[in-house]
Order: sequence, then C-alpha cells, then structure tokens
Amino acid sequence: MRKELEVIYKGPWAYWVGAVVLAILNIAVLVIRQRPWGITTNMEDWSVWIASKIGLVNDLNLTFQELLVADGTYLNLGIILGAFWATVVASQARFHPIKEGKFAVSALIGGILMGIGARIAYGCNIGLVLNGIASSSLSGWIFMIAVFIGAWMGAKLLLRFLV
Amino acid sequence: MVTYQLDIWGEMCPIPIIKTQRKLKEMSCGDVLILETDHSCTSRALVVWAREHGHDIKEEEVSNGIWRLELIKKRD
Amino acid sequence: MLKKSQQKLNLGFSIFILLLILLLLQVSVKLALTFAVSLGLGFVLQKSRFCFVSAFRDPLLTGTTKLTEAVILLLAISVPGFAIVYHLAETLNYPLQLYVTPFGIHTFMGGILFGTGMVLAGGCASGVLMRIGEGFAMQMVALGGLLIGVFIGKNSIPFMLSTFYEFPGIFLPDIMGWGPAVALQLFILFVLWKVTRWWQKKQKGFE
Repeated sequence: MRKELEVIYKGPWAYWVGAVVLAILNIAVLVIRQRPWGITTNMEDWSVWIASKIGLVNDLNLTFQELLVADGTYLNLGIILGAFWATVVASQARFHPIKEGKFAVSALIGGILMGIGARIAYGCNIGLVLNGIASSSLSGWIFMIAVFIGAWMGAKLLLRFLV
Repeated sequence: MVTYQLDIWGEMCPIPIIKTQRKLKEMSCGDVLILETDHSCTSRALVVWAREHGHDIKEEEVSNGIWRLELIKKRD
Repeated sequence: MLKKSQQKLNLGFSIFILLLILLLLQVSVKLALTFAVSLGLGFVLQKSRFCFVSAFRDPLLTGTTKLTEAVILLLAISVPGFAIVYHLAETLNYPLQLYVTPFGIHTFMGGILFGTGMVLAGGCASGVLMRIGEGFAMQMVALGGLLIGVFIGKNSIPFMLSTFYEFPGIFLPDIMGWGPAVALQLFILFVLWKVTRWWQKKQKGFE
C-alpha cells in the first residue's frame, strides 16, 4: 500500500493517467479563462515587451503592469513552478547543467525555429494541436500533420549532428 | 555474462535510446547494461522502450533526481 | 551520493506558492484560479513524464508508441469535452471562445518549423517550460531561443499574409453540425489509434 501511495507523489504515473488528468485540467482552463489554454501568445507579448525595453521596437502597446495581470503569464509561470513543485515533493530537484556545447546550440536553434513556427501558424502543440483539434477547427489538423513531418525532419537532423 | 556500461549522462531524450539500441546490437543475450541518467523523462522512456522490446529492466533512484538502470538483454 | 530529503525546501516552496495565490486573489479570483490550475498542469506534466515531442517523434525513431496513444486519448477526451462545455456555456449565457484560427500555407510551414525545432530543443513549448521547472539548463537556453523566435515570427506575419493567401478559419460544426463534427473527429482519432497499434506490433516484430 505504501508503495502505491509513493507512486502518487514520486511518479512516474502511467502515461494514460497523465492524459486523463491533463484533459480534465485543460477543460478547467477553458471554463475559468473563457478561452482555451495557450502558451506562445503570451510569450509573444513578453518578447515584444523585452524588445521594446532594449530598443528594438518603439511602439509599446503594453506595459509591465498589464503583463503582470495577464492570465497567460500565470499559465506559463504556473507550469514552471508546478513542475518544480512536483520534483521537490519527490525530493528529485537538482540543477542539470548542459553536457556539451552542441546541446546549447541545438537548443537555441530549436527554440528559434519553434518560436517562428508557432507564431506564423498562430499556435503551438498546446494551442493548436490540442486545443485547435478540441475546438473542432480545421487548422489544428493541418498543423498536426505538419508537426509530424517536421518532427521526422528534426529527428534526421538530430541523428546527423547530435548522436 | 558480461556487464557493460554506457555513458548517457545529461543527454536528452531520443539520444540515450538510440545509443542503447546500438550498444545492444554488440551484446549477446543475458548480458547486462548499466545506465545512469539525471533525466526523469529519459529514464522513464528507456524503461518503457526496453519492456516493449522484451528486455528486462530495473529502475532505481540512487540519489536526488538520478536514476540507475539495469538492463538485461533477453532477445536479439 | 546519498539521497537527501528535500521536504524543508518543499515546505518553504509550498508557503511561497500559497502566498502568491493569496496575492493573486487580491487582483482577481479568475487569475488565482488560472494560476492554481496551471500549477496542476505543470505537476501532472512532470509526474507523468508527458512529452508531446516524444509522441510525434518516437514512433518513427525508436518504435515506442505509448505516448502517442496517450496523446490520442487526451484528444479523444478533449474533443467531446470542449463540445459539452461549449453547449453548456451557450445555455447558461457564459461567454466562451473556442480557438478557431485562419489557415493557409504558412500554417503548414509553421508546423514543419515547429516540429523540427521541438526535436532539436528537446521539448515543445509546454515541455520546455516544464523542464525549466525541473532545472534543465538546456531548456532555459531553448526558452531564450523561443522568445527570439516568437519575436521574428510575429514580425514576419505581414510578409506571410502578403505572400500566401489565408483562408478564414473553418469551424467544423459550422459546415456539418455538432454531432457529425465530433463523431468524425473521434473516428479519425480511432483510426489513428489503430494505425499506431499496428505500427507498434510491426516494430516489435514478435507476439
């Protein structure tokens, strides 16, 4: 019995358990926020704010105060803090440094590609694949097929340069 | 029975599995492979992958957020 | 390397979270609730090692499909779930917006860039955030890249719109009604699930 209880806070949970709980929480976000869960729209606001602070763009439509009360900010912050909490509860928290320089380069390039892709398609895996399809929108299905092809290309690049 | 070691420390997800796949090809049935990782997802993914492919695997958390895996090759 | 309990850290962090939620309650209840639910999302993502990248990449790369099946299950619950919530909201006059976006060739291009990027960065947008919480320096770099990329992407939208034609968003229930739309999507997901199962059997090569 103790062992079963330990799995709850230590993990790992079975993937399907995660899927069911995520689905329920995702619907809870829709109800509370009156809009589906999304990640990159808020990141865009932050990036524009940072860019305006370092002088890349002049038009500052949003202020720091507005960002601090935007619900998207707390969705993103909540995921980071929630994941940290999950590791602390299980006594698994530690800092993981980057092993080699090539991983940092790959992460930076990957992040930039992901950011561009997410914005020209108006969403990421959460906003467009999960909630686009859940909203019965055709763009979600198109994006999902493209992400699948992209992941295959990415895997080829990874095998070529990182392994 | 021979015991092998494989360094997958600090590597992100698909790389450890691919390295393990390659290493397993050099091993014969009954050999043991010891892996150590600090990546929770990788550890989980390796366990799921090994079970799906019919190998024996034991997962143990040896320190805060560090997992030691013991894989016994069962089939080619 | 001995295993140390981190319960003191846990207690301190829990108090910090509680104070943050109390502070947000002063701003608005909606914000505090959103934050609480997203804490739950982060917790579940970490505990179940959920990873959208793995779901898309691993069937072809390593032949494991457990996560792909989990993502299909997640979608299969979300599609009827969203439909029910949408209908309840309409009857109760609760304002609610679904996410229906216009699409075009750039949606497809964006997907390919996103797919490539997430494999290289070792996490999609949610995975990157979750792994920052776990303490991975690599995904912190990826978040920096993500912020740069989002900025470039935002500023390239006018170019995309002038180069490619953009179709207005298609909301499937508008063209075929709610029942058939939900049924069709569930059917597609079921077919995808069957294909995944078949693929896994083929990859394993036994049983």
